[in-house]
Amino acid sequence: MPEVKTLSEGIFEITKGKKYLSTKNLDPGMTVYGEKLLSIEGSEYRTWEPRRSKLGAMVLKKFKIPLRQDSKVLYLGAASGTTVSHVSDIVSGGAVYAVEFSPRSMRDLISLVARRRNLHPILADAGKPNIYAHLVEPVDVVFQDVAQPNQAEIAARNAARYLKSDGYLLLAIKARSIDTAANPKQVFRDEIKKLEQAFEPKFEILTARDLNPYHEDHLGVLAKLKE
Amino acid sequence: MRLESWFGTLDLGEDGKVLASDQFSKNVRELALRSLSLREAGKGVPPAGFDLRSAALACGFVRSSEEYDSLLHEVTLDAAKLQISGALTPDQRIILAVEALDDVNETANVLSERLSEWYGGYFPESGLSGETLGRFVAKYGSRKNVAPEDPLYARATDSMGAELEAFDEELLKGFATSVCSLYDRRKQIEAYIESSMENIAPNLSLLAGPMLGARLISIAGSLEKLAAFPSSTVQVIGANKALFKHLRSRAPSPKHGIIFSHPLINTSPWWQRGKIARAVAAKLSLAARMDLYSGKKVPSLAEKLDAKVQQIRLQNPEAPRKKPDRGLKPKGKKKRRQ
Repeated sequence: MPEVKTLSEGIFEITKGKKYLSTKNLDPGMTVYGEKLLSIEGSEYRTWEPRRSKLGAMVLKKFKIPLRQDSKVLYLGAASGTTVSHVSDIVSGGAVYAVEFSPRSMRDLISLVARRRNLHPILADAGKPNIYAHLVEPVDVVFQDVAQPNQAEIAARNAARYLKSDGYLLLAIKARSIDTAANPKQVFRDEIKKLEQAFEPKFEILTARDLNPYHEDHLGVLAKLKE
Repeated sequence: MRLESWFGTLDLGEDGKVLASDQFSKNVRELALRSLSLREAGKGVPPAGFDLRSAALACGFVRSSEEYDSLLHEVTLDAAKLQISGALTPDQRIILAVEALDDVNETANVLSERLSEWYGGYFPESGLSGETLGRFVAKYGSRKNVAPEDPLYARATDSMGAELEAFDEELLKGFATSVCSLYDRRKQIEAYIESSMENIAPNLSLLAGPMLGARLISIAGSLEKLAAFPSSTVQVIGANKALFKHLRSRAPSPKHGIIFSHPLINTSPWWQRGKIARAVAAKLSLAARMDLYSGKKVPSLAEKLDAKVQQIRLQNPEAPRKKPDRGLKPKGKKKRRQ
């Protein structure tokens, strides 16, 4: 008999032979990236591969995930939608604004978005948040996975416009895209400092953990606005 | 204060309440087009933290939160689709063609090697390879069919190769035809790239040749990105491994990336190559910028490059003596000093 354990709202650990991180499928019968579907007591779950999703890795690294069933999320760097699909599962009664800059990735994202009404795709540069100001409402969570050298600045600019005062920022920092030659640990320290001090608004870091072994040279960060 | 949202123009009072609204019709395509035009407008941007959803409910544009999400979903989806259909610009098409060309080349090489191995059992003395072998097998099949006027006739009649039976011959001929069609496709793609490059990047084409120019655009990601690169980057595009080795450790910096295939560089003696690569890269950068921003062909650019290269050649006629301690040795010495 498979066992379902709730790790956080909308996020489950299913034990069926081995342990699977998973979310409840909002679009029953459909898979997004070749993940497994598990049917348990009338509900269908999609397994979540932490090696392909930084948010998935953060869950397993025991981050407190601030997503609720009715959360509004601004998702920067949606790519082709692997992680977005799980966020969409979790905030089934909320809304996800999925910003992606590459038309090529957006092409893949569209086929996912078309089937999920809580997703709103935006093809735009996350570094220029004013471009989508006429579309995006204040959100509970800003999630960022953009792999850009100025990603701390991008996070701050978006949080300034869109993050509610009691909201959370979740981001993944990729050391290699900030400085290819520097030591990742040093890059992480610098980036944390930037989040805490360099831009408006400033952040208070709640959790910062390396995403090893799921992602190499990546740091997961959970932060909220500094009062 | 007046602001623009995806569902209409709103007038706000001092307290942030909606005083008046000019709402758009609920036609998805119209809303999507408006949303796209608002992106660039830059005026009437809502203040930070403005709650669009509440405003839409307050002014009666939508009746429920569900309707808001549902309509916004359709509008953003339609807008994204419209953007994607316009995203395949001429330089993106060239990039796709360059990538296809690389795949065709690789496949053609693998298959022609296979053919050479396979047909070698039946006519090892042919001395042919690659495209010529493909054409030969597709034309004759068994070496018994080689026409007397063909220069290979003598070798074909006197070959130690095995007898090629009809059943096998059919197979090999078909295989050779496939190989030949790959070579045909290669020519077709090259012609496509050449003519497209002449249209969208005439200066880059003139200076670098259409194939090298197309490769530079392909690696940069777009003509716009290539034009934005400093010329020192253009100089080492394609030498990623060497460049990062240089940045991480004490390895020497790369002198040239894919621009090495430029005839001015690869026909020069080694001691001039770095200097010429720098001059070529500088002019290629200029050419890319001219192509992006003016699109006009400027033939004087090529003359200036030639003059510069001549100057470099005159100033560096002799090979400098190679320093004996190049390579790994200085690394050890420097370390000891630290």
